[in-house]
Amino acid sequence: MARLFQNGSIGSGDSPELRKADVLVGDDGSIEQVAEGIEAVAEVEVIDCSGCLLIPGMFDLHVHAREPGAEHKETLASCAAAALHGGVTGLVLMPDTAPPIDTGNLVKSLQDLVSEVSPIPMLASGCLTKKREGEELAGFSGMANRGVAMLTDSDRSIGCPDLLRRCMEYARDFDLLVTSYCNTPALTKAGAINEGKVSYSLGLPGIPAISQEIAIDRDIRVAQHTGARLHVQQISTANAVQAIQCAKDSGTLVSCEVSPHHLLLSEQDIEGYDTSYKLDPPLRLPADVEALVRGLLDDTIDAIASNHAPHTEFEKSSDFASAPFGVSGLETTVLAIHDSFIRNGTFGWDLLIRKYSDGPRSIVGLDPVALRDGESANFFVFDPEATTEITREYLQTKSPVTPFLGKTFAGAIRETVVS
Amino acid sequence: MSELKPRKDLLDIESLSLEEIEYVLENAVPFKQLFQRSVKKVPTLRGKTVLNLFYEPSTRTSSSFEVAANRMSADVTNFTVSSSSVVKGESLLDTIETLQAMRSDYIVIRHQAAGVPGIVAQHTRASVLNAGDGYHAHPTQALLDAMTFREVYPDYAGRKVVIVGDILHSRVARSTSTLFHKLGIEVGVLGPGSLIPEGRHEFMTRFRSWDEVFDWGPDAVYLLRVQMERQEGQFFPSIAEYHKMYGMNGARLVRMRELGAYLMHPGPVNRGVEITDEAMGYEKSLISTQVENGIAVRMAVLHWLKPETQQD
Repeated sequence: MARLFQNGSIGSGDSPELRKADVLVGDDGSIEQVAEGIEAVAEVEVIDCSGCLLIPGMFDLHVHAREPGAEHKETLASCAAAALHGGVTGLVLMPDTAPPIDTGNLVKSLQDLVSEVSPIPMLASGCLTKKREGEELAGFSGMANRGVAMLTDSDRSIGCPDLLRRCMEYARDFDLLVTSYCNTPALTKAGAINEGKVSYSLGLPGIPAISQEIAIDRDIRVAQHTGARLHVQQISTANAVQAIQCAKDSGTLVSCEVSPHHLLLSEQDIEGYDTSYKLDPPLRLPADVEALVRGLLDDTIDAIASNHAPHTEFEKSSDFASAPFGVSGLETTVLAIHDSFIRNGTFGWDLLIRKYSDGPRSIVGLDPVALRDGESANFFVFDPEATTEITREYLQTKSPVTPFLGKTFAGAIRETVVS
Repeated sequence: MSELKPRKDLLDIESLSLEEIEYVLENAVPFKQLFQRSVKKVPTLRGKTVLNLFYEPSTRTSSSFEVAANRMSADVTNFTVSSSSVVKGESLLDTIETLQAMRSDYIVIRHQAAGVPGIVAQHTRASVLNAGDGYHAHPTQALLDAMTFREVYPDYAGRKVVIVGDILHSRVARSTSTLFHKLGIEVGVLGPGSLIPEGRHEFMTRFRSWDEVFDWGPDAVYLLRVQMERQEGQFFPSIAEYHKMYGMNGARLVRMRELGAYLMHPGPVNRGVEITDEAMGYEKSLISTQVENGIAVRMAVLHWLKPETQQD
């Protein structure tokens, strides 16, 4: 049945202004009409969106769906459900599954699985090196033929600068996007938390900011040298923002992403040994958070990416140093960003749409989605007057591990509409 | 003294109020006097059980808690888990289940991972006594250090202590310095720059040499144990260089005597590393007193904490 979303306001990445309009979605899931005062006719379901916003579907560049290999943490199906629940209508799957996605055939198997279970595009990415071991190049051409969105060793930085250089040189000819998770293992060691006052007082091994910064500097140099496109994942410090800005100013083909957690939380928010604050890279200083928000506003940072990294509550219930890194993010990113930034006017919906929908889509070569006549329906209905309490019951991911568990956000995602 | 709010666990120093600190330190005094008698036992914890759970080998601390519990007439079970038999961290919740089923009233725990005693405390009705967790905390060590310092300096507030050695990896330095700071004692630190972290407690004044330390005029020098197997070559070039730069030796004892400063060490001592044989014989060494006070303080802590096992 056709559906008419009445009396809502439409957001876009082009303008902070929201446009009053009704949206008629046809039986086939395409947008038939966007206009003010569309009349409801029989055989059309009318959804009253008074006071609500219709926002283009988000796109998350950084998602660990854990399938195949760790389906107890998350499956493609539960991950897709969580994404839709959070207003996310497309995403990139990290290749750090078991087995790691490092050949064209494995990409194909994953794509087949996705098409069976997921109502939304979940794009495969592939490893840079075989089994993510940082020793030999993975099967680039096979993966390129299958249309991988990017190459990444997911959570691992390639240790050898020469191998990284060969990856970039080789990837260039396939126009593959090389992605770096910047970390210097010799500095990170067994670190669990940002190195500083909090790591000292909790007695936990620290991860110094230079661990990420040195790796970013190095990877930018290699990208400059090879002329490859580079995407830097999960930047976390003020110096990292500055390094990206300098690289962009000098014409380097570099993009970068930041997680919602690093935009919203610092090491000072860590409550005791609560492992739902254990992230890689770790939460940094308040000054870093400020720099990341500035970087988002001045376009140094191209994308928000949740680094949705589900683990079971049991796995996260061990001591802080032993617990795995990572938390769920797909269902809380829009809510948390709205609650902390949009509501108080730090920035508008247009910026969130640019950074969490248009920007990330463009990084992997996709067109932006918009609420326009003739487009496929791809949006969510957001009620800024409602509230959402993040509870285990609310979350559809298999992993309710998030620093936002128990928090109440202003605003609610009523429904995500995809064709 | 006014009634204190009952406390179940002793996990760190930060969460203790000054009243609680006074309560424990004052109660430790009569327990210590007990040691002079032929019968050193009190019946306070008769029928109660104390589980000594050590995930890291430690003869000294484990024995000290055992002696303390015995002198309180508790039944003590020693449970040492060799780290090789534990898949680190993963089985923690299962272990806690087992502990809960043992119905101990007090669990004394040492673990290589920071925060584990806190997790155990959340999941059990027994009182949890942190006997050292990772680099995080060693609260009974801090209390025994404070008791020892106050015995020789009843006018302890405003006095100065310098802690020498590995501030980065030392739970003793964290807990003892925090407690001394709470008591109004000034805390300095001396050691190689690679082991004095930037994120250390703000009240820790950094010194670069013994000359700077002696010019400052400490009332006590607190030497930390050097973890030789872990640190040589990584954080300083050699044990010999460490000894030369930071060790307590005869020449430095001369300055100690001039100042009338006491010498402390949490044990076990590495002779010839952080301290020479000669300095071990220093007349103002408090090292044995620390051991003795450790038992008294641990008795006072067992006496003070209130397990929630009674309603079982």
